Amino acid sequence: MDQAQQDSSGRSGAADTATPILVLKGLDKRFGATHALKSVDLIFEAGEIHAIVGENGAGKSTLIKLLTGVHVRSGGEIYWEGQPVALATPHEAIGYGINAVHQEVVLCPHLTVAANLFLGDEKVRLGLLQHGEMVREAQKILDEIGFKIAAGAILSSLTIGQQQLVATARATTRGTRFLIFDEPTAYLTRQETAQLFALIGRLKAKGVTIVYISHRLEEVFQLADRVSILRDGQWVSTQRISETNEEKLITGMIARSIDQIHYKETIPFGAEILRTEKLTGKGFEDVSVRVRTGQVIGLYGLVGAGRSEFVQSVFGRFPKTGGQIFWKGQPVDIRREKDAISRGIALVPESRRDQGLCLNLGVGLNINLPVYKRLTKGFVISPRAETAAADRQIRDVQIKTASRDAPASSLSGGNQQKIVVGKWLNHGAELFIFDEPTVGVDVGTKVEIYKLFAKLLKAGAGIILISSYLPEVYDLADTLHVFRRGRLVASHDSAHSSEKTLHETILTEALGV
Amino acid sequence: MSVEGKIEMSEAVQLAATKRRGQIGTLLSLTLVALLALMWIVLAFSTKSFWTYNNITNLLRQGAMIAILALGETFVVITAGIDLSVGAVVGFASVIIALLLTNGFPIWAAVIITLAVGLAIGVFHAFGISRLGLPPFIMTLATLTALRGVGLLITNGATISITNDEFTGFSRGDLIGVPNLFWMVVLVAVPAYVFLHQSRFGRYLFAIGSNTEAARLSGVNTTRMLYIAYTLSALCAAFVGILLAARIGIGNATQAEGWALQAIASSVIGGTSLFGAVGSVHGPLLGSFILTTINNGANLLNVNAFWQRIITGVLIIVIVYFDGLRRKKR
Repeated sequence: MDQAQQDSSGRSGAADTATPILVLKGLDKRFGATHALKSVDLIFEAGEIHAIVGENGAGKSTLIKLLTGVHVRSGGEIYWEGQPVALATPHEAIGYGINAVHQEVVLCPHLTVAANLFLGDEKVRLGLLQHGEMVREAQKILDEIGFKIAAGAILSSLTIGQQQLVATARATTRGTRFLIFDEPTAYLTRQETAQLFALIGRLKAKGVTIVYISHRLEEVFQLADRVSILRDGQWVSTQRISETNEEKLITGMIARSIDQIHYKETIPFGAEILRTEKLTGKGFEDVSVRVRTGQVIGLYGLVGAGRSEFVQSVFGRFPKTGGQIFWKGQPVDIRREKDAISRGIALVPESRRDQGLCLNLGVGLNINLPVYKRLTKGFVISPRAETAAADRQIRDVQIKTASRDAPASSLSGGNQQKIVVGKWLNHGAELFIFDEPTVGVDVGTKVEIYKLFAKLLKAGAGIILISSYLPEVYDLADTLHVFRRGRLVASHDSAHSSEKTLHETILTEALGV
Repeated sequence: MSVEGKIEMSEAVQLAATKRRGQIGTLLSLTLVALLALMWIVLAFSTKSFWTYNNITNLLRQGAMIAILALGETFVVITAGIDLSVGAVVGFASVIIALLLTNGFPIWAAVIITLAVGLAIGVFHAFGISRLGLPPFIMTLATLTALRGVGLLITNGATISITNDEFTGFSRGDLIGVPNLFWMVVLVAVPAYVFLHQSRFGRYLFAIGSNTEAARLSGVNTTRMLYIAYTLSALCAAFVGILLAARIGIGNATQAEGWALQAIASSVIGGTSLFGAVGSVHGPLLGSFILTTINNGANLLNVNAFWQRIITGVLIIVIVYFDGLRRKKR
């Protein structure tokens, strides 16, 4: 075992003084025919922040599940503080102090924050729950770790970001010595992210070992001491953060350069398709924008700044209360989704799972859902037209699926996103509204989504892109509108000034400082 | 190169998975057919009276009503809803048609009015669910109770005898040796099949059951589809009420007690998922005849009637358990 440690630590370039807390040796996992992890060697040093990066399917989730005892490994050894361990059940992992904060919140939405914090470990006196005591204790914990959340609040009344913080607080309170974060900031606002990072810093100071998994490389550089790359289930490299840079990481993950990621072609603008004049509705007011064919309009701002509310109003979700919408120069009245859809406006919603797809139904049915009327002859659907329409989109948008009948859930995130786009192309949409299209997707998928943008634009469509990730909107949008507190506060055309100063300007505008 | 390799591999895995799933799906309906056939063969050999014309036609008559009820129920269950009221609608419809016939309405008019009443009940369900936002379970539980009450109220608790021989004779009649009641299953099942599996409305029902929000954002009029689903369920139930009145020659609001659960059970045995988005027309038909065969066979074998209920319960657990295993393997 000593030899194993030396062997791996030599490879990972760790300092001689560091004490390993968890050592993986030849870790292997197979799910049936799929080889998810291929003989991975990794050393986690006590008290470090160790980032793990890699594309979707690189094996990160499998690794988490093996470390938290959710799945049992197929081969290899795991050493916890020098002792070989089985890690066969979640209970065993928690016993060692290994805990994870998952991307999606797994708590009870109907209970209070305090009840969730103490779930499974309630304070009881004479068989009775000590509600008051638990709320007071929970508030103390939350205050101590710097989360501004009321312990007595019902969990579901909080934002997803705040719920994520509660889940984090829960994971830190139970003697945790090894904490895994899986994409913790995907749904957090900037302030919440700052609170989380402060907590991570404090945990590190207390000697907790942290594994940080994220697609956002800038976070990795902000937090991590060391970073490991996984690709196709294999270990690629482990390096000190000072010895690497963003480009090196991306090359390690996908063997592709960063210029190719924010993929953009120069496409001439055409006629105006959508214009809003002083549009006002629930959560936003006085918003005037203009979209032409071949153009990407970026909407940037904090969560709750009114971007989503604005586009939902254009899409007929919440009808406008004032102002005017023009479609191809004509004033239109959009009261319901149907009014928008029939004109050729398509919304690709933020949450594919909740709003975009019928996951357990076939790819073909999802693609054809908006156009079944067109595929129907008399009362009966023409099977030939149905399969032809589905197959055409699968081919055109290059959806990688076993067949048109495979359930949408069997596809990767990027391919699911393509189904949603293919569905609207099928329908003949001309304006595509993308609400956070790349949240939680890996670099390879991002490139595919951006290439899809170019394809749509070349086909004569216009795009409204909502994103909370500034480099993305900055690189992709031809015109960038900044939202703050329900108002459009600034607009920038691309290639206007140097990237660095503009980034700062936009951030200032969005934050209002 | 490695990326391509990965894609190829995952495609192969997906392909295999899809194939397997397709096979298992067919396997389940084949299993149900085999189960039904096996029960019939065993009963044919172990009892003298099972494989007789009288008994088989009787079985078809018994099964017909639950089959139609289960079919209607399936539309609702596919949308991830539930209709607990169908049994009460059956009883209520039997009262309505009995009243109409005893008051001298011609059969055709009585049937149309009764079906219209069923339609109105379905519309009311959909109204409560989509406009008032009540959960389907609560809405139909409420009408289940209330409809029995209304039926008892207008009959003052009495049973209305139907003296129209032409009407009651229909349920005993047959066409080319097959009972009229069974033909009614065909009459409902064929358009139901076209509706569910070949029309866009069927696709919409599945889409709503899978993800209502996604369906709505795709331009599906989800409210209208809920109206259609609950109306079809209540319409089927009213139709069964007419058939039941013809078969037993009376109208009584307390008839068909527990039929809703039998209809749901038939549907679930036939592979319908109570979580929505999974179901077929042939499934509930097979399910209902499996249940009817168990009752019929148990009678012939002189099994205590109390035991029949226990066997039915155990069977539901076993079949749905294996169905759950099948789904988990996805």
